[in-house]
Amino acid sequence: MAIKTKDFVSYSDALKAFSSGLKEPEWMLEMRLSALEQIDKLELPVIERLRYNRWPLWQVPNLTGAPAAKTVDPFEFVDDKADAARVIQTGNDTVIETLPESLKEKGVIFTDLHTALREHPDLVKEAYMAKAIKPESNKITAFHAAFMNSGLFLYVPKNLEIEEPLEAIFIQNSLVEDAFVKHVLIYADTHSNFSYVEKFLTKGDEKNAANIAVEVITKPGAQVKFSAVDQLGENSTVYFNRKGYTHRDSSIDWALGVMNTGNVVCDFDTDLVGEGSATDLKAVGISSGRQTQVIDSNVVNYGNNTEGNIFQHGVILDRATLTFNGIGHIVKGAKGADAQQESRVLMLSDKARGDANPILLIQENEVTAGHAASVGRVDPEEMYYLMSRGIEQSEAERLVIRGFLGKVISAIPMKSMRDDLVQTIERKLTSR
Amino acid sequence: MAVLEIKNLHVSIEDKEILKGVDLKMQTGEIHAIMGPNGTGKSTLSAAIMGHPSYEVTEGEVLLDGENVLEMEVDERARAGLFLAVQYPSEIAGITNAEFMRAAINSRREEDDKMGVMDFITKLDEKMAVLDMPEEMAERYLNEGFSGGEKKRNEILQLMMIEPTFAILDEIDSGLDIDALQVVSTGVNAMRGEGFGSLIITHYQRLLNYITPDVVHIMMDGRVVKTGGAELAKQLEAEGYKGLMEELGLDIEIEED
Ligand SMILES: Nc1ncnc2c1ncn2[C@@H]1O[C@H](COP(=O)(O)OP(=O)(O)O)[C@@H](O)[C@H]1O
Ligand SMILES: [Mg+2]
Repeated sequence: MAIKTKDFVSYSDALKAFSSGLKEPEWMLEMRLSALEQIDKLELPVIERLRYNRWPLWQVPNLTGAPAAKTVDPFEFVDDKADAARVIQTGNDTVIETLPESLKEKGVIFTDLHTALREHPDLVKEAYMAKAIKPESNKITAFHAAFMNSGLFLYVPKNLEIEEPLEAIFIQNSLVEDAFVKHVLIYADTHSNFSYVEKFLTKGDEKNAANIAVEVITKPGAQVKFSAVDQLGENSTVYFNRKGYTHRDSSIDWALGVMNTGNVVCDFDTDLVGEGSATDLKAVGISSGRQTQVIDSNVVNYGNNTEGNIFQHGVILDRATLTFNGIGHIVKGAKGADAQQESRVLMLSDKARGDANPILLIQENEVTAGHAASVGRVDPEEMYYLMSRGIEQSEAERLVIRGFLGKVISAIPMKSMRDDLVQTIERKLTSR
Repeated sequence: MAVLEIKNLHVSIEDKEILKGVDLKMQTGEIHAIMGPNGTGKSTLSAAIMGHPSYEVTEGEVLLDGENVLEMEVDERARAGLFLAVQYPSEIAGITNAEFMRAAINSRREEDDKMGVMDFITKLDEKMAVLDMPEEMAERYLNEGFSGGEKKRNEILQLMMIEPTFAILDEIDSGLDIDALQVVSTGVNAMRGEGFGSLIITHYQRLLNYITPDVVHIMMDGRVVKTGGAELAKQLEAEGYKGLMEELGLDIEIEED
């Protein structure tokens, strides 16, 4: 559904009605309208080694507020689990929302974004597209700010440590034609410490666009372990922007499984702003069929003694494309900063296209930085060794690949999620 | 009783002939040693038997109970009963040692007869104790970051777990100190018996003080030039390869060290 970009401003009345139907605060509508004005003027973000200006990303969502004509049954995808901290959304609707009483009492907020906007507007305003992702950054972010149609808000108060991971599952409703403009906002207050896991899926085969923005903001000393398994569908064209913003001595550890089946840009960024803050980004990807997935991981060291680590491993099958860009950027003045990265791609087919592209931008002298990148095939020596112990070729290959992707899998804190990722990987590898 | 027979084996690497007609026959219950100077083709022989893709067999046969293993894939050879402990095993991150060994054992078993976790762990603990290996090595990634000695022990651990019919041990002694040598030898000696045969490749006589061979073969320039009993190894130690060559009337360039 190609929309001429100059038509976007014509949606301003529809947006006003949409916003007021959701009882959004005034500032939210203002943000939407000013972003709407800017979409046409802004450029697409530059993603190295990818031209995607013709991708159908510009589908405007249904703004009538009417419920979807067909709805998704969430239990096709998830088990019933009482009393876990969990939010499940199908399309724009929140269908399950559970939070243990003990967490509620301590002030944890874990609810859909529009409820949060009504109940905690100031808290949301502090963080929503204010620090990590900015509406005016580029065409994608402006479009997102204007047309965001549903989302999730997670707030963890000061000094609170949560043992069990909080879980969110988002099922894109492609039984109907509608854009998926989802926003996840995670706000970790000072010295909080928790894990969050999320899963993105698609139900249905309609050709839809998705513009997803996930923001994680860590206040001083906060520590967030973020993991995700993305499994959006073959007919979904996706721009996936996850971005972290760290205050002093805080950290965000990302473990991301990029397992979509359509064309996807993964724009994973972390701004290490506060002194002594750190991020560890681990991503695995599998591309198969004829799809293209590009994972563009970008860590910017602004603060002194900040540490950024990018580690991405991927496998390509069939005629698919998988590209890893690793961008480590140390700005002038970030003394003692460290930027490390490793990107490796394993090609399992002659027709596959892979790229591992390290980019280091260093504008300060007193820093450490390093990178490693490779594109290759399964090592015949490794295969020989495994097979010489009796293991069949297909099983040996699976073991090598599992090993190759293992570091990310083991970084995910929730067993069901790990198993899910392993199963997804096995399924993709055996469907060859 | 099983029989392994190598007949007139010729092997080339990159069009250069390394093995020039090797003949050797052994059966279970026996331990054979192959000794020879560096660069003679001992590792080539073991790799060709196991089916390493870089080695091209141009002539000859390797028969396991009459079946030509050269027509089998590498994994089929292993499941048929062959095992090769190599000098430089691969390091594979992401696969634990234990997981790998269990996959190897279960590759030999029927779907309804797979070895369960408990039985596996019991057996693993027992064998690791024999080899004086700390428990945590089971959960480490396959050979990753192992020292030379740890890798050798790990090869013998796999041997003891898999229990093949014939094991070829390629210079399992190189780089080991006396203590490690004793431990590794204890492992191999524990395997000794009716249903097991081993072909031990070594450059030095030292290992044969701990594992007494039934038969010793001397290999030079791609051929077995002399076969005898355990005393042949002693003779070699006393006279060196040069002495033996004089006795046999051979004129071969060797690297003596
Ligand atoms: N991969 C290889 N490529 C080329 N030449 C090789 C290779 N491996 C072994 N060779 C050569 O084959 C000969 C026999 O080597 P090898 O079988 O390793 O001897 P040994 O184990 O008796 O020391 C040597 O001359 C060696 O240089
Ligand atoms: Mg050798």
